[in-house]
Amino acid sequence: MSKVIVYPPTSMILSDLVERMGHKALVVPERVRELVTANDVQSPPLNVTPEEPKKGLRYAAVDVPSGVRGRMALIGPLIEEAEAAIIVEDPGWLTGCAGCSRTNELVRLLIRTKGIPVLDLNYPTDDAQAKVFVQKIRAFLEGLK
Amino acid sequence: MIRIAQLSCGSEYSGIQKEIERAAETVGAKIVYPEVSLEDILNVEKNFGVKVASGDLNLAMARAVRIVENPDLADAVIVMTCFRCAEAAIIRSEIRKFIHEHSRIPVLSYSFTERTTAETLLTRMEALVTTVKYRGLLARERQKGLTAGIDSGSTTTKSVIMRDNEVIGTGWVPTTEVLKSAEDAFDAAIKMAGIKKEEIQAVGVTGYGRFLVGKHINARLIQEEITVNSKGAVFLSDAQRGPATVIDIGGMDNKAISVQDGIPGGFTMGGICAGASGRFLELTARRLGVDITQLGKLALKGDFRNVAMNSYCIVFGTQSLVNSLSMGCKPEDVAMAACHSVAEQVYEQQLQEVEVKEPVIMVGGTSLIEGLPRAMEELLHVKVLVPKNAQYIGAVGAALLVSGLLEG
Amino acid sequence: MKVTKYVITSSESDILPSDIAMKIYGSKYDVNVKETCFGVMVNGEEEVVDALVKDIRALDPAGIFIKDRGFPPGDPRRCRGHRGGGARPGFYMIESESKMLPMISRALASGGEVTAIPEKKKPLLPSRLEEIIKEDLS
Repeated sequence: MSKVIVYPPTSMILSDLVERMGHKALVVPERVRELVTANDVQSPPLNVTPEEPKKGLRYAAVDVPSGVRGRMALIGPLIEEAEAAIIVEDPGWLTGCAGCSRTNELVRLLIRTKGIPVLDLNYPTDDAQAKVFVQKIRAFLEGLK
Repeated sequence: MIRIAQLSCGSEYSGIQKEIERAAETVGAKIVYPEVSLEDILNVEKNFGVKVASGDLNLAMARAVRIVENPDLADAVIVMTCFRCAEAAIIRSEIRKFIHEHSRIPVLSYSFTERTTAETLLTRMEALVTTVKYRGLLARERQKGLTAGIDSGSTTTKSVIMRDNEVIGTGWVPTTEVLKSAEDAFDAAIKMAGIKKEEIQAVGVTGYGRFLVGKHINARLIQEEITVNSKGAVFLSDAQRGPATVIDIGGMDNKAISVQDGIPGGFTMGGICAGASGRFLELTARRLGVDITQLGKLALKGDFRNVAMNSYCIVFGTQSLVNSLSMGCKPEDVAMAACHSVAEQVYEQQLQEVEVKEPVIMVGGTSLIEGLPRAMEELLHVKVLVPKNAQYIGAVGAALLVSGLLEG
Repeated sequence: MKVTKYVITSSESDILPSDIAMKIYGSKYDVNVKETCFGVMVNGEEEVVDALVKDIRALDPAGIFIKDRGFPPGDPRRCRGHRGGGARPGFYMIESESKMLPMISRALASGGEVTAIPEKKKPLLPSRLEEIIKEDLS
């Protein structure tokens, strides 16, 4: 079993396919869970406090917007943990944790420069593409075992 | 309950969402998020005019479209994005313009960092809520009866006495101890007006020390500077109807306010850099060995282009001025360079955030330093008005507004 | 540790969110369930939820999808009822991906066979474009 980071890091389809094929998907909701279940913090909605943008300094300098650094505090540790990655080209409707394009660019860059196996895909738009999409993911994940 | 629609990107991830909500709560408002569909977001290029790479900015634009189509959804709007994000800066400004052009809903635009606190946002939110809550009061054009205004500023405290639409007494003291300075300025204004304190029907208070002073003297009106200064500026400039732009470069912060019929429609408040404040001009005057009241006249004789300014900073900028003097630059050129530096920074960092429409009115003590409005005129390519009593703007606005409460 | 997972059904699946909820109510698993428009949210101890979603998946292996969620169901810090209306930003992503689920389901159900996708047409060569323009204008 490998730890696989998916991009977009909030993707239901990608995390589902990774998990159903026997690997561990590294996804943002798990990091959000850590924040919102911490008892001593009350900073709705995400319990992200001004400390997160400071933690994000590990990934981006202080002249990078605070929203990028705050998001990197969530996503950066997942990249560090990742042993493989699946990256789907930005479909143009990413919001929330994946709603900042500057963060997304940095996330993709850090994944690619880490030197782990990366599978690049596009979201499918028809059945034929969907079959190739699933098949490529299956083949990639089997290759990791 | 006033509903403030939040159109933003990055606030949740900067850890400041709680601060935004806390500031709103303090001024009796609630933050709301207009409902939009996925289709609204996907069609944002068609409906707003552009689609950008960041989805949360597209969401903010889709929400702006929804508000313009359904103005009943919100009473006011705040547009907030991360400081230093170019993509967001463009969209923030366009959302502000979009709402300003297509609705009567007041808009506040702000760029935040993780250090932004509820306290930073409070005056801005208070002004936003005031423009919604007291529209009738803000529409008042004449001062009636005998009223007083006190502006407890960070650097100076000002007071005026007004009777039947005329300023009949003024007082001005440097702010030391807040309450004592307020009393001194107030007493001076009373003395000049030749009236007794007991005759005054109501007092309005504004400025940094407004809560403390207001409570102490039992003021009828305690109000932030944005709405009060807008009112004072258009009153003194006889520009109460139609559009106007008010620029107030203060001791600790600067305000740029876009006014329509005497009511602020959009505004920005900057307040981190001393290089864009009256303090910078004070230091320059001291270095040149002239009184601050003479700096402006000296500057009018100079040309800023003869001085190489490498920085807007109060430390490094002043160093540039000192270097220029040692290299033989004329004091008048240095004086104008200082005025230009302050004006240019306000122009670059704040006036881009509001609609600059004529008349442009400069107020506050710094507006009397003649080089400063001149520098602003050169940057904006429009005539800049400095009304009589411009330094008492907050006190005049407070005295005018509080007279509106006498009838209620 | 308590976790929350979305169980999302493809719109073409024969299994409805209400079927899933009924199955959970009638099961031995000690979890909280909340039905939503596109599936259900299940909240409980991690190992219990993991075992449960495995069982649910078996109802329609190609038509049921699982996603992690950070917040417990109805958490007031995220619930729109408590937070001035409007969907949370991440909702739009679930909605977008949900629309693709029928395609993904069919691909999963079809097993390994993959038909080759025809290659995209290459853009016209500038020289050929020039010829067309000349022909058209002559």
